[in-house]
Amino acid sequence: MMLKKSNRKTSKKKNKVDKIVPGSSDQNTEDTIENKRIHRKLSAQKKKEILQSRSKELADELFEQSNDAEYFEVVEFILSFEKYAIESLFVSEVTPLKDFTPLPCTPSFVLGITNIRGKIVSVIDIKKFFNLPEKGLTNLNRVIVVETPEMELGILADSIIGVRLISRNDIQPSLPTLTDIGSEFIRGVTEDRMIILDIEKILCYPKIIVHQEIDT
Amino acid sequence: MNQIEDGFLKELRAMFKIEAEEHLKAMSSGFIELEKTKEADQRKTILESVYREAHSLKGAARAVNLNDVETVCQTLEDVLSKLKRQQIKLYPELFDILHDTVDILKVIIDSNKVQDISSIMHQLGRLSEGYSKEDIQADKLENREFPKKEEESDKKGVEEENAGEVKVEKANDQKASDLPASKAEPPVANPKIVEKEEPLISETVRIATEKLDSLLLQAEEMLGAKLAVNQYLSDFDVIFKKFDLWEKEWKKYATEISLIKRSFENGENGNGFKKKNTEFNRLFEFIHMYQDQMKSLENVLNPIQQMADNNSRIIGGMVDNLLEEMKEVLTHPFSTLFKILPKIVRDLSRDQGKEIELIIRGSTIEVDRRILEEMKTPFIHLLRNCIDHGIEKPEERVKKNKPRDGTISISVSQISGNKVEILVTDDGGGIDAEKVKKTAIKKGIISEAEAEKFTEQDALSLIFQSEVSTSPIITDISGRGLGLAIVREKVEKLGGLISLTTEVDQGTTFRIVLPVTMATFRGILVRVAKQIFVVPTANVERVTRFKSDEIRTVKQRETISLDGKVIPLIWLSDVLELPRMENEDESYSFIQVMVLNVSEKRIAFVVDDILNEQEVLVKNLTKQLSRVKNIAGATVLGTGKVVVILNVFDLVKSALKVTTSHKKEEKSKEETLMEKSILIAEDSITSRTLLKNILESAGYRVKATVDGVDAFTALKVDEYDLVVSDVEMPRMNGFDLVLKIRDDKKMADLPVVLVTGLESREHRERGIEVGANAYIVKRSFDQSNLLEVIQKLI
Repeated sequence: MMLKKSNRKTSKKKNKVDKIVPGSSDQNTEDTIENKRIHRKLSAQKKKEILQSRSKELADELFEQSNDAEYFEVVEFILSFEKYAIESLFVSEVTPLKDFTPLPCTPSFVLGITNIRGKIVSVIDIKKFFNLPEKGLTNLNRVIVVETPEMELGILADSIIGVRLISRNDIQPSLPTLTDIGSEFIRGVTEDRMIILDIEKILCYPKIIVHQEIDT
Repeated sequence: MNQIEDGFLKELRAMFKIEAEEHLKAMSSGFIELEKTKEADQRKTILESVYREAHSLKGAARAVNLNDVETVCQTLEDVLSKLKRQQIKLYPELFDILHDTVDILKVIIDSNKVQDISSIMHQLGRLSEGYSKEDIQADKLENREFPKKEEESDKKGVEEENAGEVKVEKANDQKASDLPASKAEPPVANPKIVEKEEPLISETVRIATEKLDSLLLQAEEMLGAKLAVNQYLSDFDVIFKKFDLWEKEWKKYATEISLIKRSFENGENGNGFKKKNTEFNRLFEFIHMYQDQMKSLENVLNPIQQMADNNSRIIGGMVDNLLEEMKEVLTHPFSTLFKILPKIVRDLSRDQGKEIELIIRGSTIEVDRRILEEMKTPFIHLLRNCIDHGIEKPEERVKKNKPRDGTISISVSQISGNKVEILVTDDGGGIDAEKVKKTAIKKGIISEAEAEKFTEQDALSLIFQSEVSTSPIITDISGRGLGLAIVREKVEKLGGLISLTTEVDQGTTFRIVLPVTMATFRGILVRVAKQIFVVPTANVERVTRFKSDEIRTVKQRETISLDGKVIPLIWLSDVLELPRMENEDESYSFIQVMVLNVSEKRIAFVVDDILNEQEVLVKNLTKQLSRVKNIAGATVLGTGKVVVILNVFDLVKSALKVTTSHKKEEKSKEETLMEKSILIAEDSITSRTLLKNILESAGYRVKATVDGVDAFTALKVDEYDLVVSDVEMPRMNGFDLVLKIRDDKKMADLPVVLVTGLESREHRERGIEVGANAYIVKRSFDQSNLLEVIQKLI
């Protein structure tokens, strides 16, 4: 699975986005544009150091976690300051939320549609399912494209943490205090309060499909 | 009639051949697998699938009257089912026979000739009778030569009889048996056969349509690349304009700078400014270097721009070609759609006791496969309409001095590069404009005053409106007044047009004009609530602007007057559930209006701005957004921005809802107070309970009775809004019940729906005769059908 680290230039048509929270960092936008220039200016030595430390990290991780069948891989991300995860088996890709087009006449959980390499992908905001507070859109927003044979859609994430292996033994079933609509979509919680979503259930949820006829 | 049937059978045979080949292939690979595996479980599943293949082949063969194939398959099925139940054991010799069977079937199907199947039948028969291995072996020894010879002599016979088939036969033969021999032969040795073969069989490949669709998607995506390159080009233009500007500015200062420089070098020399002088020199050096840098940057950019220019041309050409060819791949001839029509016409006309000949012309013309798919239902509706309402009964035709057999002709012709015209003509009774008007008045679609002003053409176009039908009774074929409405909606959705001409007693012609491709269409870009939307140009009658004070209200609803006609005015933002934008700038006194004309309904929609018109490429929304109201799809603009395409049919429907919403609310209140009551007469308890459940869950008050007498008594006691009755019942049947109701003064107008298992024409006609309002055959009986009919009637 590929996580695209390189940030693309986000659209400046902010007027389309009606949920910008004041203080959502505009300088960040500048940063991302400058990324390439920063890379160019790094000395060869420095680049080598960075890459080496990264590969070491990756190697360590593998070493620690062996290949026990009890482990499975998840994509970890942030929604309103909380950590969520989706089993990476269902994730086909993660892309930055570039431009998107809001759709009129759709339920509020439908953020809109976006163009991913020629394919129209709908993006849904699952914060609406869990009654999480709005956080506004920044250029850190990512779309996690999830796929089952029956359904494909993009899930909006505030930002991506990364991919990691977790042990099935570390997951506790959902908390008894979670009783709202969203609770049935939760597969469990880890000790560090990462909420693992039951993505299959979300994708099968009948109400997620928008199908409205106009009766005359 | 006979000729048509022959032609039809031929077509069917051709289709059968393809299907049979698949079944045979599956069977022989199944047998091979069966030979390999030893596990009982796996064997069972393979046997099951082979059995199913044989069974389907049998069914298909029966449909095309290939009795031999049917008989062989039947026996083969017997053997297989015994194998499945393990009444016979598997052994190698048995497989020989099975494979032989498949081969013989192939020969029969390929040659289309009668074959001697006695030998294989004999062998299969012995197998199914459970002859032991030894018996078969003995039998084999005896017969070893026999089947082979049989087959060969068969082939020879075919060769002699049918020259056309020879090459195919021979090729198969070579491939099958003499493979090494034919390989050894150099192709030159037998050039005649090779040459003759090629024009006969044009190489075709069957590809899943999904794969083609995804290819088209990718090819369409290449448009993005083309547009992106063009974008780079214009970016370069901007850069070079900036260079030009810089150069101009530079030239302004250049002379001044060199003057200053010279004055420093000459005049002030030796005046104690030595130190400062060097500093100034540094500055001049920097200015020079800066100028050089800019110049060299320009020199680097120049060839890149050149390259971008070339690329845009090359990529543009390649993408356009690719797309065009891709679209061609996706076109199919009309014949693929028309193939199903003769059977429909035959079945329906027999059902109605009419004799009808169907003539099809121009079926080789090709259009986008998706258009053909969309047009399938409209064609069926049109034909039903022609058969049910158009063509008269033979007796009636004879009376009118017309040939006994009616004729329906469909002709397709290309009228321009991207347009085809389809004429569906019948020589039936024609449509009586007056009758259409009357129905429309009765249904409250037009007022009598309006009707008087209607020209004949106006009146005729009414038949495309739903609920207008000239048929006195609703049957499961037609009469509900929906068919032609569906036809028009589909045709218009595809960006086409439909019209009709008719003459009483001469016949009716429907003219449909359709686009050939559907990937792109022209759309108008409008802005509403800061978002851009695309509206298909085909449905926009005009765009214009009005002064805000020209809006007048009629019964609290806003209208404008256009060409002397008053049309309703709706804010597009209201329909799309978006905030209305306040007019900010100088255009405050004007409103921008787009007049949509959909299904004879004209509505003016207010938009914030009308941007431009351009070619757009339709993309479907995702699986998750299976149907969003008012939205037809999306498209990607040159800038990469995704823009929503509006569904004009929905817009008009929603607009009517916006305006009628408060009226409807009142009505629904009344409805809940006065719920409609329905009486059921049905002797079967199952059907009775089912009906009662369906109707009750649809919100009706229901009383069930067990037969006609019971029902009639109930009707005397209580008042009901509608009767749903079975036909065959003890004591008093449905027809008699209807007659009784019609005879009764008080109940004469009570709507009656007959629901029955009797689907013959005579029964249906009897239903009309006695005065039932609808006749629904149980076979086609489903909830929505019944409820729809009931809603129409009360």
